[in-house]
Amino acid sequence: MSAWQMTAVREMRKTRRIPPGLIWVAPALLVLATLSIYPLLYLIKVSLTDIHGFTIAHYARLFHDRSFGVAVGQTLLYASVALTLEFLLGLALALLVDSLARGRALIRVGILAPMLLPPVVAAVIWRLIYNPEFGVLNGMLRQLGFNTANLTWTSGRLTAMLSVILVDVWEWTPFFFLLLGAGLQAIPAEPIEAARVDGAGYWRTLMDVIMPLLKPTILLALLLRSMDLLRIFDQIFILTQGGPGSATETISLYIYRTAFRFSNFGYAAAMSFIALMITMLAARGLMRVMKLR
Amino acid sequence: MKTLLKYAAALLAVAMALAPIYWLVTISLKREIDQFASPPLWLGFTPTFRHYAGIFVHDAFGRYFLNSVIVSTGSTMIAIGLGLPAAYGLVRFRWPRDWARGISFWILSNRMLPPIVTIVPLFLMLRQVRLLNSLIGLILADTGLNLPFVIWMMRGFIEDLPREIEEAALLDGESRMGVLLRIVLPLVRPGLAATAVFCLIVAWNEFLFALILSQTQTAMTVPVGIAGHVTQYEIQWGAMSAAGVVAMLPVLIFAAAAQRYFVRGLSLGAIKG
Repeated sequence: MSAWQMTAVREMRKTRRIPPGLIWVAPALLVLATLSIYPLLYLIKVSLTDIHGFTIAHYARLFHDRSFGVAVGQTLLYASVALTLEFLLGLALALLVDSLARGRALIRVGILAPMLLPPVVAAVIWRLIYNPEFGVLNGMLRQLGFNTANLTWTSGRLTAMLSVILVDVWEWTPFFFLLLGAGLQAIPAEPIEAARVDGAGYWRTLMDVIMPLLKPTILLALLLRSMDLLRIFDQIFILTQGGPGSATETISLYIYRTAFRFSNFGYAAAMSFIALMITMLAARGLMRVMKLR
Repeated sequence: MKTLLKYAAALLAVAMALAPIYWLVTISLKREIDQFASPPLWLGFTPTFRHYAGIFVHDAFGRYFLNSVIVSTGSTMIAIGLGLPAAYGLVRFRWPRDWARGISFWILSNRMLPPIVTIVPLFLMLRQVRLLNSLIGLILADTGLNLPFVIWMMRGFIEDLPREIEEAALLDGESRMGVLLRIVLPLVRPGLAATAVFCLIVAWNEFLFALILSQTQTAMTVPVGIAGHVTQYEIQWGAMSAAGVVAMLPVLIFAAAAQRYFVRGLSLGAIKG
């Protein structure tokens, strides 16, 4: 019996049924429970009460509330478009930089920067850029001879959603670039060499050899990112406040407005519960992927 | 030729990533007349530090900065203090059946709660105990974000250590706490430092909790201060961009220190890259 096992057995005997490690974990668990289980129970309670007592009116209201449906739809639109663009761009960049012989580290640092900024600052930057009159984007377009009179970016009904998505793509493509880049480096050289020797071209090698080996990393990155996308708040709050009208309103912004502008906590709680259910779908997938590791 | 094209594409990507940040810095250093110049001025303007002086003198930005420092270091220290022993306990003790795994994944699930879901009950709870607009309330909220992260990261770092040294120390009569402090801690120090840096960044960048839990200057953090500039009817470009630069500098400096562990941190420890 190793010294380790002896200590373990001694500790087990001393405390009988309570696992000895519990004392070490208990403080953290207690704090987390106070900050999550209790609030969640509280949330359910608030969502099921109004001034008269128990009610399911808040949940019933969800079904008639067009604004909520719009917010859910727009959240899903935002998340899926941003996720697709960020993934494809990030993968392309990772493959590109991985194939360079020199200067990889420096290029990597340059590409990473947007992801590190406080989201509020990233959004501020793009407000300066998108401003229709004084922004640098329209300024440059005018320099090139374009008529920018109708290019209002975040304040245009049709362009607002696309504009906020582009900010997300600018900020978070580095996330995929970094994670997929690390995944690429972990792929052994032999299968790729073997494919080359067998006469497979670049695309064949990429699709048949590299992508399958990269799949676990891709899955992990997609799930991690989609959870953050579904809760998007900061950038949109700074860029458009959900407007113009409700053109860029997402679930988080609608809940914020309901709770902290209109003080309707019961209804906000009911919506939060639904938002939780939606994120849990992504979270469950993520947990499964992490358990495989 | 092909190599040249590749480098050109990579440099274009770097330029796209950095140009907006560079633009923010130039706006913060320009006089009003240069800010709104058409065509846009990328170079060759007379720099002024007026906007920086302005935000600290007129806008209590020094106060926001101090609040941000207190909240991020406070929540990071609590998260490390609770999280390191918890990670050690989960990795190095014998647990019945699947407990360690079950507890770990429950902890991870906390990290996945969307802030907008917890903020409504947290706001109501903190209002009841009169901790709204206080730094303590914010520190607590941010601890909830960072603690699961610390436990997951440190679990991975401790697992990577060889057990033999710890076993030998236990045999020599060292207590568990002694092993953690005198043997494990020095060995995981780089990982612990990187984890702390990530926590600092998360808390420093955090916006939603701060926006809702601190509505007066006593506890307002930098991001909320900046948001105040933006949502006003008339945007003050100079003040807003100077504040943005001040908010991003500490993050970039810290991030440089933890660069080696980015992938590990972003993947919640799943990729050890």
